[in-house]
Amino acid sequence: MKRKLIAAIGVAGMMVGIAACGSDDGKGGSTDAGGNKTLTVWVMDGSAPDAWIKNVNKEFEAKHKGVKVKVEIQQWNGIQEKVTTALSEDTPPDVLELGNTQTAGYAATGGLADLTEDKAKLGADGWNKGMLASNELDGKLYSAPWYAANRVVVYDKAAFKKAGVTPPKTRAEWIAGLKKLKASDPKSQPIYLPGQSWYVYAGFVWDEGGDLAVKDGDKWKGNLSSPEAVAAMNFYKELQSYSTAPKDKDEATPQQSTDIVPKGGVASWIGLGWEAGGAIDAMKKVKKTADFGYFPIPGKTADKPGSVFFGGSNLAVSERSPNKDLAKEWLALAAGKEHMAKYAEATQGALLPNNDAAQFKPAAGSFAEAMAQAASVGKITPVTPGWANVETAPNPIKDYMTKVLKGEDAKKAGEAADKVITERVNQQ
Amino acid sequence: MTVDSQGAVSAAPQDAPGSEAGTPKTPPPPSGSKHVLQPPRGRRSLPHGTLPYLLIGPAVLSMAVLLLYPLVRNVILSFQQVNRKELITRKPEWIGVENYTELLGDSAFWTVVVRSVVFTAANVVLIMVIGTLIGLLLNRLGTKMRLLLSLSLMLAWAMPIVASVTVFRWLFDEQFGVVNWLMRSLGLEGYEQHNWFETGFSTLVIVMILLVWGSIPFVALNMYAALTTVGTELYEAAKMDGASGWRTFWSVVFPNLKPFFLITTFLEIIWIFKAFAQVYAMNLGGPDRESETLPVFAYIEGQGQAHYGLAAAISVLTIVMLIAAMSFYFRLILKQEEEQ
Repeated sequence: MKRKLIAAIGVAGMMVGIAACGSDDGKGGSTDAGGNKTLTVWVMDGSAPDAWIKNVNKEFEAKHKGVKVKVEIQQWNGIQEKVTTALSEDTPPDVLELGNTQTAGYAATGGLADLTEDKAKLGADGWNKGMLASNELDGKLYSAPWYAANRVVVYDKAAFKKAGVTPPKTRAEWIAGLKKLKASDPKSQPIYLPGQSWYVYAGFVWDEGGDLAVKDGDKWKGNLSSPEAVAAMNFYKELQSYSTAPKDKDEATPQQSTDIVPKGGVASWIGLGWEAGGAIDAMKKVKKTADFGYFPIPGKTADKPGSVFFGGSNLAVSERSPNKDLAKEWLALAAGKEHMAKYAEATQGALLPNNDAAQFKPAAGSFAEAMAQAASVGKITPVTPGWANVETAPNPIKDYMTKVLKGEDAKKAGEAADKVITERVNQQ
Repeated sequence: MTVDSQGAVSAAPQDAPGSEAGTPKTPPPPSGSKHVLQPPRGRRSLPHGTLPYLLIGPAVLSMAVLLLYPLVRNVILSFQQVNRKELITRKPEWIGVENYTELLGDSAFWTVVVRSVVFTAANVVLIMVIGTLIGLLLNRLGTKMRLLLSLSLMLAWAMPIVASVTVFRWLFDEQFGVVNWLMRSLGLEGYEQHNWFETGFSTLVIVMILLVWGSIPFVALNMYAALTTVGTELYEAAKMDGASGWRTFWSVVFPNLKPFFLITTFLEIIWIFKAFAQVYAMNLGGPDRESETLPVFAYIEGQGQAHYGLAAAISVLTIVMLIAAMSFYFRLILKQEEEQ
């Protein structure tokens, strides 16, 4: 509590009474008078299917008498601030989900329990090697991989049919298709692409063979002014010109899946599995039927789909959790092969489980099928503790994208962004 | 016997003065009792012992806990390096005035300072002018209209901050905003998808509309309350002298309400300078950090970037600036008291 107070003071200071921050009720690891323990688990919005996690908790509570599992759903927006504060407190959540780009940053702070000794119990042998990398720092394991996912293009089958467009294989076909869509229905957007969808942009950078930041000696430096990143941004700009989406927003504000797509007038958009699901549900509510098709983001050539950000989440145990052993037990159960297989099934393969043996065979024409095609070219952001600092708001990559889309020179704006990225990525 | 009689005689005169003295003594009791009554009165006005401390204790204690302690911790924090790692490991590092030197040498900080000062000045001027005008209007209106206007003012004032910011955000939304719709309905070109939050300036203008809207009720209602203290005979006298409305305001109302204008202006300066929720919630200090004022800058550096020590230094500097502004106010007050 004291730590939290200090943190609060840093921002509040004399400005008492202005920052009426919502206090987190995510106090975990409590033990009541009757010796009953509560295990608090933080999962992100869209990560854990309701029925699945209830099932896991039922099994866990049956095994451990007197223990109750409390699941608290968190929003991605502003999650880093929340996790940082929570980890500094005496009663952090016992288990928490962390984005794979952020895990190394928290591992470096000492806020996460070292799980290296528990590898066997957690079933580390069966883990997907590509997903493992983001969980480790300096040879130690700080979290268990949970799931991974990547974005695909979601399209409205009716709109594509009307324009006579079929799912493209190359960027050139993609742009040609968007032109046709524009011609067939000038009032709707061929693609909804907000200006700050930076994970999509990252994929284009990787397509060019570049990266967002590169190692320079034992330091890192921002790389948005490199020719590869500039070429990627120019393609993003071309693509974005087919959308009337705001240039200074990301895909979550307004939430493209539930606030934009159900309103209609969007022929295609780039999203994750849970977003596609959310859009289908939202459309049902307004008595519309979603007829979505899915295709991987086209690559520069037809032989390989476009690179995608291999987003995903890891599950970590907080260092200050009073119930660390119980937390590890829960982790082993939830991220274990058996429940991961059920997980893959519950998400219909739209989220890839941490264990290849738990894979779910996606149905033909489903989101998961399109996603699996692109998974082979999935990449993640630079694995270094400082990367998490780059992603904190205000994210320099997002501001950079907005500037270029509004007409600033990509190289010049890239240099300004690189300065910020270099400064942040080298901080601990 | 004679001795006895003498004794008896002597006893009598002895008694007599006594009884005589007793008579004059009788009147004093009231005056004497006055003397007796006075000390307790003195004691009542200046009680001693622990009681006064006990009475003032809760107020002092709550102020110490809620204001002084955080302030002291804040100052301490401003001399430490506390980033994400130090916060989580709870091992702050003393770095002296490094946070301050970093800030004072940072052009971004000075940009924010200038922006905050200009923003505050523009807001306070608008609030005071419009608030005063509405206050004067309230004074002139009939009962029904006055009630209606006061009620509207109260409603605007009672609106929770974040709720009002959300409403404003939606009004000025790029895709579905009412303002864009209104502009289009009025036949104006270029509002198909006009982005009102495109630049820091336009964002701050919208924040200003919100702040002025939210602050006017305070000034207007206070102004109205203050106006009721100005005697009608003063207006009548001014009217007899043939003073215009403008002249009446400057020669009658303004001098009478000078203390009111002073305190209200300075309160507004403090409120606007430290306004956080409205500015932050409107566009998170964006685009590209162009609408950050000092409190927002502190929040983004502190909570957003997890540089808690640096943010503490920003807030200390903010306090110093406010104290500088306030010292001006206190000097005015002191000068006024001396004049009186």
